[in-house]
Amino acid sequence: MKISFILNGKKIEIDAPPDRRVVDLLREDLNLTGTKEGCGEGECGACTILVNGESRLSCLMLAPQLEGQKVTTIEGLASAEKLHPIQQAFVEFGAVQCGFCSPGMVLASTNLLQKNPNPSRAEIREGISGNFCRCTGYQKIVDAVEAAARKMKI
Amino acid sequence: MKGEKRKVILKEKKVEIPLAKEELEVVGKQVIRKDGYEKVTGRLKFGADFDKAGFLHGKVLRSPHAHALIKKVDVEKAKALPGVVAILTAEDVPGRNGFGAIIPDQPVICGEKVRFIGDGVALVAAESEEAAIEALKLIDVEYEPLSAVFSPVEAMKPGAPKVHENGNLLTTVRIRKGDTEKGFQEAEVIVEQTYSLPFVEHAYMEPDVAMAIPHEDGTITVKGPMQAPFTVRRNIAPVLHIPISKVQCVQTHLGGGFGGKEDSSIDIGVRAALLAWKTKRPVRMEYEREEVTLSTAKRHPMIIQCKVGAKRDGTLTALEGTIYNEQGAYASLGPIIPPAGGTHAHAVIMLPGPYVIPHVKVDGYLVYTNHPYGGAMRGFGAPQVNFVHESIIDELAEALQMNPYDLRMKNCFELGSVTATGQVLDQSIALKETMRSAADQFEWFKRWRPPPSKEEVEKVEKRRGVGMAIGWYRTSIGTFSDGCGANVYVHEDGSVILHTGITEMGQGSHTVLAQIAAEELGVRIEDVRIVVPDTDIVPEAGPTVGSRSTTLMGNAIIMASQAVKASILEAASEILGVPAERLVARNRLIFDRDDQTRGVEFKEAARRALATGKRMMGQGWWAPPRPSFDVETGQGYPYFVYTYNTQMAEVEVDTKTGHVEVIKVVACFDIGRAINPILVEGQIEGGIMMGLGYAMMEEVLLKEGKVQNLNFQDYMIPTAMDAPEIVPMILEDPNRYGPFGAKGIGEMPNIPTAPAIINAVANAVGVRIRDLPAHSEKVFHAMRGRRG
Ligand code: FES
Ligand code: FES
Repeated sequence: MKISFILNGKKIEIDAPPDRRVVDLLREDLNLTGTKEGCGEGECGACTILVNGESRLSCLMLAPQLEGQKVTTIEGLASAEKLHPIQQAFVEFGAVQCGFCSPGMVLASTNLLQKNPNPSRAEIREGISGNFCRCTGYQKIVDAVEAAARKMKI
Repeated sequence: MKGEKRKVILKEKKVEIPLAKEELEVVGKQVIRKDGYEKVTGRLKFGADFDKAGFLHGKVLRSPHAHALIKKVDVEKAKALPGVVAILTAEDVPGRNGFGAIIPDQPVICGEKVRFIGDGVALVAAESEEAAIEALKLIDVEYEPLSAVFSPVEAMKPGAPKVHENGNLLTTVRIRKGDTEKGFQEAEVIVEQTYSLPFVEHAYMEPDVAMAIPHEDGTITVKGPMQAPFTVRRNIAPVLHIPISKVQCVQTHLGGGFGGKEDSSIDIGVRAALLAWKTKRPVRMEYEREEVTLSTAKRHPMIIQCKVGAKRDGTLTALEGTIYNEQGAYASLGPIIPPAGGTHAHAVIMLPGPYVIPHVKVDGYLVYTNHPYGGAMRGFGAPQVNFVHESIIDELAEALQMNPYDLRMKNCFELGSVTATGQVLDQSIALKETMRSAADQFEWFKRWRPPPSKEEVEKVEKRRGVGMAIGWYRTSIGTFSDGCGANVYVHEDGSVILHTGITEMGQGSHTVLAQIAAEELGVRIEDVRIVVPDTDIVPEAGPTVGSRSTTLMGNAIIMASQAVKASILEAASEILGVPAERLVARNRLIFDRDDQTRGVEFKEAARRALATGKRMMGQGWWAPPRPSFDVETGQGYPYFVYTYNTQMAEVEVDTKTGHVEVIKVVACFDIGRAINPILVEGQIEGGIMMGLGYAMMEEVLLKEGKVQNLNFQDYMIPTAMDAPEIVPMILEDPNRYGPFGAKGIGEMPNIPTAPAIINAVANAVGVRIRDLPAHSEKVFHAMRGRRG
């Protein structure tokens, strides 16, 4: 079936079977491999994307659910060569190690700061608690999100 | 400058320690990791992100039995399925039907029998993933179930089902030092306990994947997230029955490894290679999360009996320990086959802890069972035994009515101490300083109180407690494969390529190693490019394990850099008319030490070096001083240097539910030299969280050999909600053999966390958990048991 939606600011139309998982649609049909798959069961958050600004797990969504929606993947967050302040902070604060969780973690943080531009550390921890990171111990991620929040307010 | 003191970076404190080397430009600086940009933008390609076009899909048919004979495998129906290209069974393996990091005892495809639920019985290659999955269902296997054995203690009994032909006892390692009988006679207080540790999953976020591409000329390329590409290559060649020179292994960036991808990349790599070899087509294999949990290596479970004796004043007199170490179905990285040492020997060596004990006796048994197998996981046998010695030291302190800090301080290693293996610690040992610094930061003496009485616990809903643990950890494998090489190429524009086989798994080695090259050459970090480890190109590096990368590879890189730098300095000397010995290279400039106004750009010297035919590549090869270890007596110098660590934890226990919240962890490390402090902190914080998971929630649950919690829904790892405040502290007591004084950091942080937390729980509510993990229910029942 034909599905049309806005992907990273561009309107697209694509043919996909109704049971196509969004994570596969993105990674395989659209070659947007920045979205990762860590578990395929909605537990790890590696496949997080933004749908109308809300973070959603693309491994639990089917293609038709995107019809008419605004979708942002990690590829759509930075403009050309300039990083989003959250991405910049992740790099600077050592919030990235293996990087497998990073795309999902960055998008979840984006969603968090949109809803709450001024979060406490506890609120940040809660906001990213759906995203696993096995490498960092989360502390530097919280540092990065905190710093990005400060920067984005200026 | 000699004698000068270097300020050591601590989050909040400053300590001064003699400087290892004169002022440095790149090393010791908060250099931002080189791959950060690609990672936060999602541009970095992990193994699963490469184009699948043209690849067949490979799958493994897995045994549903823990122990069974294979009577018949009927593949005809599966073969007839459209889209299926090949179904392979044991007879199709052209060479050795076995792989393994130390002993090749795991069949690529089982022929006669299966030894655990998840063993590979057939391999499928098909045009589509759907066809491959369908084909698995059509393969008919007839099994004859055998009785199985699921505990190391049971497996050692006479008459137990034999997992392998030669019996279930795979390796015995002992330590014999002094006379423990005498030691216990001298003791005034003796504590004896049994502890047990569970199977734990690495839970790296990126599931395993491998791509195998056969070539016309009889060579084969295998790509994937390999923690140890040379070990994968070493296994593929004999399975395909071709020389090692015809196998090329290329690493893709790892989405976490933690020791797990040392084994799993052999497993999936060998199987993908075999399918590609037989079908003569590129084959791609991917293990889903459940398959990773089901079939790949885990942290060894252990049952450990331990007994310590001390004088009234706390002086330790003797320690005895028996380790029942469950290997599971295959040897993986468990055994010690001299000169290769596995997890087991390391656990035995580490059991007495960082303490001076005159009489020590340890017997460690590594035993096959019909469970999934234990392999390398961050800490390599040390977290298990550290939990034991740090628990029992606290139990002893309680029996002696001493502050556990004082008991440790009285007995722990310092310069000149002799270990249980007879090793004299003659350098780079600031364990006591890590204790002092951590205690100051944590305010240990203000906050520690003796454990409460039953009544005191019952009075309140929440009780806080503090606990500590100390530890030591090797740098290096301590065996034959420790030698490692590096090539450094300088180009005519001053840019540099570094060839190293150390893999990037997230730990930041490719930033740290580039820093070392940049420092030694006198260029900037951005001038150094590390190519992806490719066994056709980079020199043998051994595996990326044992917290060895920075130290061992760092030394090889320094040697390689010096070799090529000689040409550049020679060229600069020709340009400047100043003897090469007087030249200093720093920050892309080469100048006269005695007259710093006279200089030339590094790239200009490089250009001249090339134009005048000088060597533009340097190679370095470094191996630590030869290790020694006697398996019978446990005597020797198994590792050339150790990292030391103190951790202090504060917890809050809900006395109504048993729920434990870790509030804060202060952790201080002597790592010789932090080449990149922010990356070191990253290792510390990540390791502590993994240790917290070990303490509180992680356990692979098994029932009749079957893993019960295959996905993250059931296998819990810590989330941001579980994260305590972590204060990482770094001390630098330079390692004589290290690059700029460095020693390893990757594994140490993961080790003393669990006992520090469990000791804090005991300190809060007066109950002691001796079998991990200490989830709420267990703590609750322990408290209720105490109430009687
Ligand atoms: S892959 Fe979607 S939550 Fe893990
Ligand atoms: S950086 Fe590796 S999982 Fe988060």
